[in-house]
Amino acid sequence: MNIVDKLSSKEDMISPGISACIGCNVELTLRTCMKVLGPNTILAVPPGCMGGVGVVGWDMMTGANCPVFFPLLDNPASMLAGIKLYYERIGRKVNVVAFAGDGATVDAGFQCLSGAAERGDKIIYICYDNEGYMNTGYQRSSATSKYSWTSTTPVSIEGRGGKKEHKKDFPMIMAMHDIAYMATCSPAFIQDMVRKVEKAMEKQEEGLAYIHVFNPCLTGWGIKSEESIEVSRLSVETNFFPLYEVIDGQFKINKEYRNPKPVKDYLSKIKKYSHLNKEEIKEIQEIVDEKWDRLKKLASL
Amino acid sequence: MQEFDVINGNKAAAIAAALVNPDIIAAYPITPQTPVVEYLTQFAADGILKSTMSEVESELSAMSVLTGASLAGARTFTATSSQGLSLMYEPYFRASTLRLPIVMAIVNREMISPQTVWGGPQDSISVRDAGWLQIYVEDNQEILDMIIQAFKIAENEDVLLPINICYDGFYLSHMTEKVFIPEQEKVAKFIGKYEPEHIILDPERPMAVDPLTNGDLLMEYRYKHLLSQQKALKVIDDVDKEFEYLFGRSYGGLIEEYRMNDAETAILVMGSMTGAAKEAVDIKRKEGIKIGLIKIRALRPFPKERIIKSLDKVKAFGVVDRNVSFGWNTGVVYQEIKSALYESGKAVPSIPFIGGLGGEDLTVNMMMESVDRINSIKKNHSTVWLTESNGGEA
Amino acid sequence: MIKSQERVAFMEFKSKYIAPVGADGVYVINTGDWRTIRPVLNQDKCIKCGICFMYCPVNSIVKEDGKFIIKYDYCKGCGICAHECKSDAIVMVQEAEK
Repeated sequence: MNIVDKLSSKEDMISPGISACIGCNVELTLRTCMKVLGPNTILAVPPGCMGGVGVVGWDMMTGANCPVFFPLLDNPASMLAGIKLYYERIGRKVNVVAFAGDGATVDAGFQCLSGAAERGDKIIYICYDNEGYMNTGYQRSSATSKYSWTSTTPVSIEGRGGKKEHKKDFPMIMAMHDIAYMATCSPAFIQDMVRKVEKAMEKQEEGLAYIHVFNPCLTGWGIKSEESIEVSRLSVETNFFPLYEVIDGQFKINKEYRNPKPVKDYLSKIKKYSHLNKEEIKEIQEIVDEKWDRLKKLASL
Repeated sequence: MQEFDVINGNKAAAIAAALVNPDIIAAYPITPQTPVVEYLTQFAADGILKSTMSEVESELSAMSVLTGASLAGARTFTATSSQGLSLMYEPYFRASTLRLPIVMAIVNREMISPQTVWGGPQDSISVRDAGWLQIYVEDNQEILDMIIQAFKIAENEDVLLPINICYDGFYLSHMTEKVFIPEQEKVAKFIGKYEPEHIILDPERPMAVDPLTNGDLLMEYRYKHLLSQQKALKVIDDVDKEFEYLFGRSYGGLIEEYRMNDAETAILVMGSMTGAAKEAVDIKRKEGIKIGLIKIRALRPFPKERIIKSLDKVKAFGVVDRNVSFGWNTGVVYQEIKSALYESGKAVPSIPFIGGLGGEDLTVNMMMESVDRINSIKKNHSTVWLTESNGGEA
Repeated sequence: MIKSQERVAFMEFKSKYIAPVGADGVYVINTGDWRTIRPVLNQDKCIKCGICFMYCPVNSIVKEDGKFIIKYDYCKGCGICAHECKSDAIVMVQEAEK
């Protein structure tokens, strides 16, 4: 069955009207992943964009057709581990899924995620990486890329600034936990994303399955709403965010370009990089090339 | 299990958990609670404990795993002490406001700083306003009996709140005593099954748990929570009576009154210091002093009515606090007792004591000295610090 | 269980629950009200590749009888469908004056 017919036949598990920004590709990611995961799912959405837009609901109403809840910012993986342990004990198969921002994953929730990964808790953890705490006003996180403007790493009046530290390579960190399955995804590559969510559903029987989605944030980074998918595609085509999987320790690159586009094609479409000078862009290109090189070497092992 | 054994407090707690066989246990070791985790994992390996155990990487994770499991409908248990309790404070507060009947043993230990590992209830007292029920016990038998009763109290449909059973670190956790161990079938029948309706994460009954909530609805949830704490007052007393009927032991419910019938003055205590205090009361009684003792068992919900009734005829009382109330220059329990008596309209002279902090002993001599002081005051007295050098004034 | 008839003078219970749960239906925001421009699909130019359907963040494009139709209930007017369409079959037009 082709991807269009497959997605057509699936139920949209999320409320049709949530207050995500116009063109938000996290909303696209959430709806797509939930179509694949289906109604036999318990969904954890920690504080962040998706929680804030109404996916968990308001007052006495819910925002999804499956059980959904707010874990704390620092414990989604552990709460889900507890839920899954009980369902395993009573012999019921349920998808237990976290849909968490980079703030809850890479910063505050890292300890619990690392613990769950080590214990092999059988959960699916999907991180939507929009490089910052976007829901509360675009503050920086450790997943924010170097030289990004954020509200806590601003650009000075002279036009210099942005985040000094470089982006934590979180997919690599999770791969090094030797978990059952690790994959990176982009909302511009829907077929690839659907395949990976299905693979995660299969691999969750063995341990933690982790998916890292790269979601350029329209409002927080300054991207035109209609270019939401185009910019996501550029992040992959420039090797800024390569698409790869790690299955049982084996690295596999999913999209390789013979002539990857220069990273400035990607940066030029995003306002948060508009203060960059030539040296800074060159440095970012070097970082991207180094990381790609390292990934190639790991894939050849 | 044998009919009785000679065991320390931590083993009593672990055995109680094994008798109940909760669904999920997630615990992280911390002195002086560590042997509880060790016994539990040994019991699990030996097949005595049928619970699913999760060896988590910190107390934050422990309470998170339990709140998750409890939301899925599991019966849960854990144990911790001071630093671990403060580390798990974020999900700890949530366990009560989500109305999850989690049972947690707290092996009372002083809060750092100064650097310490020794016993004292400052840790659990510091979190008394997080919505959990709290019961403080005197000896190892009470530890085992109360952990069993805790499940019945917490899961009662009028209560549905998590509960702490608190016992002094090292004084009870590491000292051995003779403890009677009830039969597992009787325990299972006593506590029944846990089948939550009020909150659940289950694809067959889909609902959102904890959506963003407006202030007026939040006030309603808080109102219902406070009401449940008030209903717990009767439940704690009732469960004590039912336990006595089935297993032959009673502790008095919310408070224990010792020789209060004809008492003219009273000494109020909490925790393992009760042993020394009861001895002092007996010695003083032989000298003709009509002193009585009240052991506070439930700190939350606060047993206001029973305290007022018990202190009705006394002409002076004293409270021995093994903790401090920063900002009040007395202990915490003293403040709560004073608060309760405000409603009775009877303002008799009282004297607060602070002692036994950080592992210092509260001796029979100190208790006798306290009884003497209580019997000598004609009006409210300032805090007396009980130390070895004896009787420094505040 | 707290009965819903239990009330006090100042408070009438809004909810029959004692714990914070959302079990009274799905919360839906009328996001169709947000848009200032709307996509219009020209069926003659459409090559039925399904890309607009795949990339719509609000699930507002559906496949019916082999054709792709835009539903406007929740469409926010982001313009992704028009931008990604390979055959220029979708154009964004101003919302009609109400």
